[in-house]
Amino acid sequence: MNPVRKTAPPETASLYIAHQKVHPREVTGRFNTLRVAATIGLLGVFYLLPWMRWDGRQAVLFDLPARQFHVLGLTFFPQDFFLLTWLLIIAALSLFFFTALAGRLWCGYACPQTVWTEAFVWMERLAEGNRQQRMRLDRSPWNANKLARKSAKQAMWIIFSLFTGFTFVGYFTPIHTLSQHVMDFSLGGWEAFWCLFYGFATYGNAGYMREQVCKYMCPYARFQGAMFDRDTLIISYDAKRGDPRGSRARGVDPRSQGLGDCVDCTLCVQACPTGIDIRDGLQLECIACAACIDACDSVMDRLSYPRGLIRYTTQNAMDQRPSKVLRPRMMIYAALLGALVIGFAFSVAGRDLVELDVLRDRNALYRQIDINTIENVYTVRLVNKDNREHQLELVAEGLPGVVVDTDTPWHTVGGTEVLSVPVRIQVPASAVSGGKDIYITARSSDGRIEVRTKARFIAPVAP
Amino acid sequence: MNRNSRITDDDETPAVSNRHAQCIGSVVWPSFLGACLASLLFFGSFDPQPLASQLLGEDANRLAGYTLGFFFFWLISASASALTAYLLVTRPPPN
Repeated sequence: MNPVRKTAPPETASLYIAHQKVHPREVTGRFNTLRVAATIGLLGVFYLLPWMRWDGRQAVLFDLPARQFHVLGLTFFPQDFFLLTWLLIIAALSLFFFTALAGRLWCGYACPQTVWTEAFVWMERLAEGNRQQRMRLDRSPWNANKLARKSAKQAMWIIFSLFTGFTFVGYFTPIHTLSQHVMDFSLGGWEAFWCLFYGFATYGNAGYMREQVCKYMCPYARFQGAMFDRDTLIISYDAKRGDPRGSRARGVDPRSQGLGDCVDCTLCVQACPTGIDIRDGLQLECIACAACIDACDSVMDRLSYPRGLIRYTTQNAMDQRPSKVLRPRMMIYAALLGALVIGFAFSVAGRDLVELDVLRDRNALYRQIDINTIENVYTVRLVNKDNREHQLELVAEGLPGVVVDTDTPWHTVGGTEVLSVPVRIQVPASAVSGGKDIYITARSSDGRIEVRTKARFIAPVAP
Repeated sequence: MNRNSRITDDDETPAVSNRHAQCIGSVVWPSFLGACLASLLFFGSFDPQPLASQLLGEDANRLAGYTLGFFFFWLISASASALTAYLLVTRPPPN
């Protein structure tokens, strides 16, 4: 018989740690209250905002089918795209600012991944009990109790995910119509697809991926360290005070036994949603949720030790050096951020209510109307970004004797509507030779709006 | 035992290698972000209506155009990410 030779495992062991589900222990305390408040607040805004009305229409609607974005009373068109880019730059810079100031505030309290995970863990707790009960349930063989609890959890997760997907789509197509379509099962194929797709992404990310998204997928988690300095707020274990760790009898002075304040109860580790030990020092995996602070404070309270063995602090404070909030990095971020926000506000406020696009007729360069007159034909697009109707007239200037000829003198453009007007511009043949620039102005009847744009007028070259 | 053993001390979840899941994650997620950005830039300037009617017939709406465009961008960027991931796989050293 040939002995089966087992091949040795390859030298290149996997660099990845096998994933084990993290069952975060429930904690109570100041920061938990803050985090729950942030979760409720942010989810509340997300789920309620599409139902808010403003001037008889959905207050926030990124109306993709109509290519118009409504934000409160303002309407934006694809032409305002630069404002969106601007807004994204402001968002990125705010992230840098707050990271340098207070560490991973975003990760711990505001990131959708954190917020939805928080909600999903809450539902899991509702169906499967606390940490010990959940771990026991996971280990136990399948029975009626396990089936019932797991099914209850799945049911809650799936309903919540579907509602999340529906709300998400409600930001892009009017949510009242959308809900009507859901009620009478007449949801369009694409809308249904996006509801399911976003719902599934929520279910997968918040139900199963959880801290792995932060550890393996999030780019911000990787580069946030670059914004950190010795004055950035971090969550840290005070090793000088806590070590050596060990259990002790109640009421015994730990110093007399050569011990620090840490009783090594591992509650901070059990509470961590990313499954790390904060006592090992600041780590990439730490999302700064402060659950370990609450867990440790509760133990310190029970032992009548001062709170803050694990606390928000800075590297400088840990080294007994003064911490500075106002430092060049902060001032530069703040100045840039301030300038961008002010600039943004001005460009939103000073936006032209009407936009004018002039397209030349592609069929003919020019037409000779009679011996004395040259005509060019254009299509003028009047984009009314205002929510009110406007009466507009078009005038041209830039060449002697230039005349605008349209079918009607006044053009009525409804609120947030676009009107294409065929325009004939005539210039005396003696006044123009070759290509010349002219200016077309749209003026409202009440005189409040006047927008001007340049166009090219083409005539035969005079001999 | 792995580093996390003390955290999930009494949890006997079988240690299945998580490598493939992480690999998929690091291909799918960055390419998703790339596809979002590309869709934003592209549809900021181009109306998806003609695109949709050309590909799916006259009655297709804008949402169809956005969807197709987004997934097309995602496919392209995911292919690039996947190729990068494939090229980064280290070969075992020769015996």
